[in-house]
Amino acid sequence: MDLSRRDFVKSAVTGSLAIGSASLLSACGLNAAALTTPVRHASGPPKRGGALRAAITGGSSADTLDPLSAVSNADFARVNNLFEPLLGLTPKAQPVFVLADELTPNATATEWVLRLKPGITFHNGKALTADDVIYTFRTVLNPKAPAAAAAGLASIDAPAMTKLDPLTVRIPCKTPFATLHQALAIPTYSDVIPVGFNPKAPVGTGPFKLQSFTPGVQSTFVRYENYWQTGLPYLDKVVITDYSDQTSQVNALLSGQVDVVNLLSADVIAVVESQGKNILISDGGGWNPFTMRVDVPPLNDRRVRQALRLVVDRPQMLEILFSGHGTLGNDVFGIWAPDYDHSLPQRHQDIEQAKSLLRAAGAEGLNIQLVTSDIGQATVQAAEVLAQQASAAGINVQVNQITVTDFFGPSYLKWVFAQDYWYYNFYLPQVSLATLPASPFNECHFHDPAYIKLYSEAIATIDTAKRQQLAHEMQLIDYTDGGYIIPFFPPVIDGYGANVNGLVPSKGGLSLNAYDFKQLWLS
Amino acid sequence: MTDMTAPGKIAAAPAPPRAHPLRDTLIKRLGFGVITLFCVSILVFAATQLLPGNAASAALQNTATPARLHALEVQMGLNRPAVSQYWSWLTGLFQGRLGTSIVSSTPVSTLVGGRIVNTAVLVLLAGFIGTVIGVALGMLAAARRDSVLDHVLSVTALAVTALPEFVVAMALVIFFAAVIWHLFPAVSVFPPGAAPWSDPTLLVLPVATLVIVIVPYTFRMMRAAMIDALESDYVEMATLKGLSRRRVLIFHALPNAIAPTIQVVGLNFLYLAGGVVVVEYVFNYPGLGQGLVNAVADRDIPVIQFVVLLLAAFYVLVNIATDMVSLAASPRRRLPRS
Repeated sequence: MDLSRRDFVKSAVTGSLAIGSASLLSACGLNAAALTTPVRHASGPPKRGGALRAAITGGSSADTLDPLSAVSNADFARVNNLFEPLLGLTPKAQPVFVLADELTPNATATEWVLRLKPGITFHNGKALTADDVIYTFRTVLNPKAPAAAAAGLASIDAPAMTKLDPLTVRIPCKTPFATLHQALAIPTYSDVIPVGFNPKAPVGTGPFKLQSFTPGVQSTFVRYENYWQTGLPYLDKVVITDYSDQTSQVNALLSGQVDVVNLLSADVIAVVESQGKNILISDGGGWNPFTMRVDVPPLNDRRVRQALRLVVDRPQMLEILFSGHGTLGNDVFGIWAPDYDHSLPQRHQDIEQAKSLLRAAGAEGLNIQLVTSDIGQATVQAAEVLAQQASAAGINVQVNQITVTDFFGPSYLKWVFAQDYWYYNFYLPQVSLATLPASPFNECHFHDPAYIKLYSEAIATIDTAKRQQLAHEMQLIDYTDGGYIIPFFPPVIDGYGANVNGLVPSKGGLSLNAYDFKQLWLS
Repeated sequence: MTDMTAPGKIAAAPAPPRAHPLRDTLIKRLGFGVITLFCVSILVFAATQLLPGNAASAALQNTATPARLHALEVQMGLNRPAVSQYWSWLTGLFQGRLGTSIVSSTPVSTLVGGRIVNTAVLVLLAGFIGTVIGVALGMLAAARRDSVLDHVLSVTALAVTALPEFVVAMALVIFFAAVIWHLFPAVSVFPPGAAPWSDPTLLVLPVATLVIVIVPYTFRMMRAAMIDALESDYVEMATLKGLSRRRVLIFHALPNAIAPTIQVVGLNFLYLAGGVVVVEYVFNYPGLGQGLVNAVADRDIPVIQFVVLLLAAFYVLVNIATDMVSLAASPRRRLPRS
């Protein structure tokens, strides 16, 4: 079973590599229309009309309609239908043009030219122009109130951006930024807002426009008649309701009160299917790592870190946490990125080697506290399984569970041994966020001169093959010296009623077609 | 506040001024209630300050870079000293302002108003139905003491007392909504602004859960009190006089059995104000409990303050009300102890 899973992963990856290597920047074949291939056809062609009722967890009274501050799944579900990005992700997690039609770098990757598709309008009728793109980036990168995407797009010199013609923008960068097309493709990172955007009365270019919104409770959306992708969306209305947990979510699905539910755990698959509802399982590229600070004892000794990586029985962890669904991890992030190195040998549990590494490091019978919280899918269970597995090598991991708000409180990014959750990202953009000394989320406090040098070379390299080679060298350092334990990439498990069509598994790590409901229809 | 007569007239007064013992007690209790609420507000505010993390870090979660955190803290006014935050909240309260949510910057009153109505409907319906059923069953069991019916009711009540409310709720959902029969909605979600009674089927399972949880307490107290009353001399006398069984039960035994039961009914309402949290959670019911849970997770201090104070005020008022009603129902206890 293990073998077949790996074969499956391999074939899936070669598939995605094939798409990734198709010349991205030349704009051919990467239009969003190319994505419209639903796996499941109920009967005949898609039907227009109807209201989709979605039960989404993760929301709170901090819910927002501002794509620049979206953090939770409930936020994504709303903004991904109201707004659209310049570039988005295909179901195989590769970049694809949405509002943009062309994106071309100069030879040194210090400047890009972006052209928009013509004929796109916002919900208030205003045409989408270069001014909106410039306004968006300046708002995102406003130093006084940086948006969620600011960290990932920090190289962009927003004040110096210029309009070349009504649909074309020059994007200068403060430092080389060869992976701009990847960074922009991350959900909400390049969502375009119109000049003078008001988050209280949000207008986007998305397939649905806002009808009503009550934070932490419910929001409703109606079909945007002048949507630029002719014929879409199929639904007349979308009702998104915040649910506090999976129990009420599943009950609502089973009793037919809602049509789609997001992010379920593996233990409800059987009950949902036995009641005539469907389950959608995606091999998401999001990751829930264990984070080890490489700058404080005992984890500053790479032998101790390797020992902890070696005590993990990864297939068993997937089996316990997700009934075997999901993808094995190899302590390197960015699994569906085109430059992910699939040739690194899969790390297996090796208690003997872990013990000998600990002996060599003088850390036998290691006692260590692991701070966990219910921050992501099965994070707390993962911590408990790790503690159990580590005991085989004589390591005593004390699991300390705290609340989510505590976790992201003042000690966030300072925990010695903890966990985190990340949405899918491409390899080099993820590095800029998490594993460089200047990264805003360097939770492992990783600082490796060779790694930094490779990164600055890679980020200035336009040539895809050469950049990939540099990325592989960096991944070898992640693999041997890094501060992350990445035992798995969790599956994304969603539920939907028998009347819902158009859902496809997507590797981007977000539920339900990455919460893009324009392809869904009701039969 | 009480009758203040001039010293010279004391000799002339025929009896000590003991005209309104109920009113005096009420005023004293209300005064203590206000002090209690003030202490609660200080305690709650202090507790929110002790919680790690604040509204800004709760909202930003794993996107909280220092720059973003700082910008949001300034915007939310969290960089002001705690005492000044409390003071502006308290002075605002006396000017009739309930405060503004620091998370969604909407007035607390708009945020919580609908939820108060939703929860009140749930609590009142469940409390009323539960009381009627509990009293009726208690009388029935006492009247047919040691019959099969009495035993079945008593054992069932004991068993149900042992069940936590979420087990009751889940069982009802499994049986009547999601799995076996699809009779009622499994979750009670209605559009914001709509009244909970706009679709009464949505109320069936949450109310049923709460009723099942509170009935046993009322039932057992009613049964015990009724048995006491039925064994008393005056009931024997009434029966010997040839009054009908029904008349004896309703007009002679019930009034004497109701006083201790009122205390239990009061306790039930107090329980409902808190226990409703779990039920709202299971049914995703947009009530006060759910609002409080969200506010704590979001560290939305003005909302936490208001909801907790509201619940505390409810506790104080229900306590006063049950004491008053039992005093009114048992004239002997109104006399001062000598």
